[in-house]
Amino acid sequence: MLFRKWSFQFTAALVGSAALAVFAQVTPDAQVKTVATEVTTVLKSDPAILGNQAKLRDLIESKLVPNFNFARMTQLAMGRNWTKASPEQQATLTKEFRTLLVRTYSSSLSNFKNNTIDYRPLRMQPNETDVTVKTVVQQANGQGIPIDYSMEKAADGTWKAYDVAVAGVSLVTNYRDEFNSVIRDQGVDALIKQLQSKNK
Amino acid sequence: MNRIFTLTAVAAAITLSGCASFKNAAPGDPLEPINRGIFSFNSTFDHYLLKPIAKGYDAVTPAPVKQGVSNVFQNVSDAQSVVSDLLQLKGAKAGDDLGRVLLNTTIGLGGIFDLATPMGIERGNEDVGQTLGYWGIGAGPYLVLPFLGPSSVRDTVGRVAEGQYDPVSAVSSVPARNSLTGLRIVDARVGVFPLEALANQAALDKYTFTRSAYLQRRESLVLDGKRPKE
Repeated sequence: MLFRKWSFQFTAALVGSAALAVFAQVTPDAQVKTVATEVTTVLKSDPAILGNQAKLRDLIESKLVPNFNFARMTQLAMGRNWTKASPEQQATLTKEFRTLLVRTYSSSLSNFKNNTIDYRPLRMQPNETDVTVKTVVQQANGQGIPIDYSMEKAADGTWKAYDVAVAGVSLVTNYRDEFNSVIRDQGVDALIKQLQSKNK
Repeated sequence: MNRIFTLTAVAAAITLSGCASFKNAAPGDPLEPINRGIFSFNSTFDHYLLKPIAKGYDAVTPAPVKQGVSNVFQNVSDAQSVVSDLLQLKGAKAGDDLGRVLLNTTIGLGGIFDLATPMGIERGNEDVGQTLGYWGIGAGPYLVLPFLGPSSVRDTVGRVAEGQYDPVSAVSSVPARNSLTGLRIVDARVGVFPLEALANQAALDKYTFTRSAYLQRRESLVLDGKRPKE
């Protein structure tokens, strides 16, 4: 009986680590491509989803959100102000910033429905844990918008994005400038208030 | 037309800077109080005049015509880009931009059709502000120009220089030149619609948001997209 329990645990651990090993082999550029393809496929097969806020939010929560590290993004956007915030403030900031980013993403998706995405080849060493995946969104008018994802490998082997740069404009840097100016003039609580009222 | 706007803007900024208070200015933006004033003037002007016109134009003009108009102005700026390519000794880009202009102006009927892009000849997208940046000149203080929007001291100098060889300002008939300038402004405004929607959703403070995006974008253009990793 005891032996069976052990052996079950042992098998489970083996299967678990095998799954992890498979997961770890997913390169960050392949991951971006998979996610983007899934999302664009859904949008193309069901364009009505763009008019349905709840459905759109579901799609983003299930497909996109797991690929982002919002805690890291918030920390980077706060920069040196991060340590000025109490743990409660940090938690609220992370939650509100996540909401704002998800909303921004859902509203910008509608601009991307007729576009195709090119993936630039990623040159990376096997042991690298921090890479930039470069893509170009080709618009209907032939103009390409470069979108770069800064990605970091987590301890469990999955890759998560911590910054997105659109045409050279980094989201994190943009928000860092905004956060900085609010905090400098009015403090951390004022920033939280602004985020909350923006998300209402 | 553009040149007069720009010169007035610079003069106004310099004059006003004498009497402004700077205590809360952000780094890189010592003129923030004045800039904010001009920014809000521009927003009002845009809200009541430019945006409604651009929306109307966007609504009544058939898509192929709009595309053609955009292409013509892009072709003009490709031609100007050749100068900046050469000034930065970027031979390949100069060749591409020159090839684009030759092809699009002739077979593309004066630039109405952009045949070069589908053929894989990419736009160099250089200007004098970038050229100054390439040779090591910093952006200088951020400026918001009346009517024209975000800029920097360096990019304003670039704009003035580019005005000297702008084919549109070389058109001799005044009504034609003014119409072209107006159309160019409206065309550029329509191009900003998607970005504007994004900024409205994303920005806590549109002034800071725009400033940061502008300065980052320009820096990225100077470096030809090779943004240094933080």
